[in-house]
Amino acid sequence: MYKKNRARYFFLFPGVIWILVFTIFPLIFSLYLSFTNANMRNFTRATWNFVGFDNYASISSDLRIGDTVNATIFLSAGSLVSTLLLGTFMAWLFNHDIPGLRIFRSILTMPLFAAPIALGFMGLILFNETSGSINTIIRGLGGGGVRWMTDPWSARTAVLILDTWQWTPFVFVIILAAMQSIPEELYEAARLDTGSGWIMFRRITFPLIAPAMGTVALLRLVETFKILDIPLSMLGGGPGAATQTYSYYVYLTGLRSFDMGYASSLAYILVIVSIIISSIYFWRVRARFE
Amino acid sequence: MATTNKEAALRPSHVTSIGQSRLTRIFIWAAVIAAVIWVLYPFIWAVITSFKTQREALEPTIIPFLQFQPSLENWSAELGLGARETTLALGNSIAIAVGATIVATVLGTLTGYALARFRFGIGNRNIVSWVLSQRFLPPVATLIPFFLVLQRLQMIDTVPGLIVVNATFTLPFAILIMRDFFADFPEEIEEAALVDGANPLQIFVRVALPLATPAITAAAIICFAFAWNEYLFASVMAPKDAKPYTFLVASTSTVRGVHFGYLATRMLIAITLPVVLSLFVQRYIVRGLSLGAVKG
Repeated sequence: MYKKNRARYFFLFPGVIWILVFTIFPLIFSLYLSFTNANMRNFTRATWNFVGFDNYASISSDLRIGDTVNATIFLSAGSLVSTLLLGTFMAWLFNHDIPGLRIFRSILTMPLFAAPIALGFMGLILFNETSGSINTIIRGLGGGGVRWMTDPWSARTAVLILDTWQWTPFVFVIILAAMQSIPEELYEAARLDTGSGWIMFRRITFPLIAPAMGTVALLRLVETFKILDIPLSMLGGGPGAATQTYSYYVYLTGLRSFDMGYASSLAYILVIVSIIISSIYFWRVRARFE
Repeated sequence: MATTNKEAALRPSHVTSIGQSRLTRIFIWAAVIAAVIWVLYPFIWAVITSFKTQREALEPTIIPFLQFQPSLENWSAELGLGARETTLALGNSIAIAVGATIVATVLGTLTGYALARFRFGIGNRNIVSWVLSQRFLPPVATLIPFFLVLQRLQMIDTVPGLIVVNATFTLPFAILIMRDFFADFPEEIEEAALVDGANPLQIFVRVALPLATPAITAAAIICFAFAWNEYLFASVMAPKDAKPYTFLVASTSTVRGVHFGYLATRMLIAITLPVVLSLFVQRYIVRGLSLGAVKG
């Protein structure tokens, strides 16, 4: 009887109504705006007329999108690969008998909580071409200084390194938790057959952490679409538009140029991509919420 | 019960402890040290830079007193008397983050409890998935409608406006952390209270809430950190009076000749509070950040 008590609505509704009002309503509004020519050129009040699919049609002929998509794909793919590899490696390391694991784990998760906008400035200092400590180290090792701020691909790489620095701990803690839930007996049994740590990793650890890795990969992928703060504060999207991510471009179009209708259609493309990814995600984790 | 969970999560694994060669051990420790340096390096560099004057900040020196003369110039410029802009922005940041945290934690605890304890016609699983899906949405998609609506309500550049925004973005975290906590918590105590004639509200307030304090604290800290770090919406909706610290940091001159020492100081102030608070929520980080998708 308790499970069906009428009081249950009192508990559920406040949160659900909040989300409906402040997320679902804006999303519907945004969809509507994407079919209008809403803009705010005179800085007072936005005015709009219905224009059908015009905005969506002009996306395909938008020349500025090329660089944006390049930067986004590079950062998404790069960050996905680098955080998964590094994070899994770190989890493997700390899955050994390491005293003080709790302290290490606290230190290693610190980057997750650093404001990305501040991280961009961290990048500005570290990656400075003449006096930055990264180039100093590279020169010390006998290399030439990298043009982090002026060469498009180097700049993208610098943003990628910062994003990797921030998000590797996320993969690390989740994969570590998955590794620690693997029963000891499996390794003991395997040890009778092989002494090779690599074989045990490939045959036991990897298959058992694979589901968690899939989950993490999808969560990371969606997060990478939101990258905006770091390139904004570090390079202002430059050099040129080399580090202007898709989210950044939508932001500039909508809230800097006030071309809100067009920006909404751009944003909706991203919403659709995110819905596809989240569908895959839910299909995978459904069982967890039984 | 909570303690056993904690122990289990931190159980040192014996995965390769047997038959581990000396070489492997050296490699592992070297890699552990490298990982710690990789994480701490930017922090340490920022701290050093913040004690340098403008000229010294352009030189790759590390050791204070020996290589450069440390100076408090940047810190006193940012936090000392007359730094009105800083005080105002920090005050706004705290007001916004605390406000959003309260809203998100209160609503999140109620909804999380509902999803863990009661059964709903639509299917609890569907509601949970729907809540989770909010995290998948790109924030830029709701930025414009939020801006237009707040503008019409004359809430642009107000603290309440940003509280609403940040509460919305952090609410899914709070709901899922609390839902997971209550779902793992035995119902027997609450059932006993029910037998004693308490109604659901009394049970929630007198029995469930006191037991949930650690989880509520964790949810609150995670919400606080995310609200504190938010920049995108703040830059659009709080350009002046309600400007939070992240926005102030971002408006530190980025043109040629920017003062690195000063920049490092501001950056450190921006990141310190959430980073320090995170040290208290270690147990909940895995679940909190994976939105309950992975048990940790």
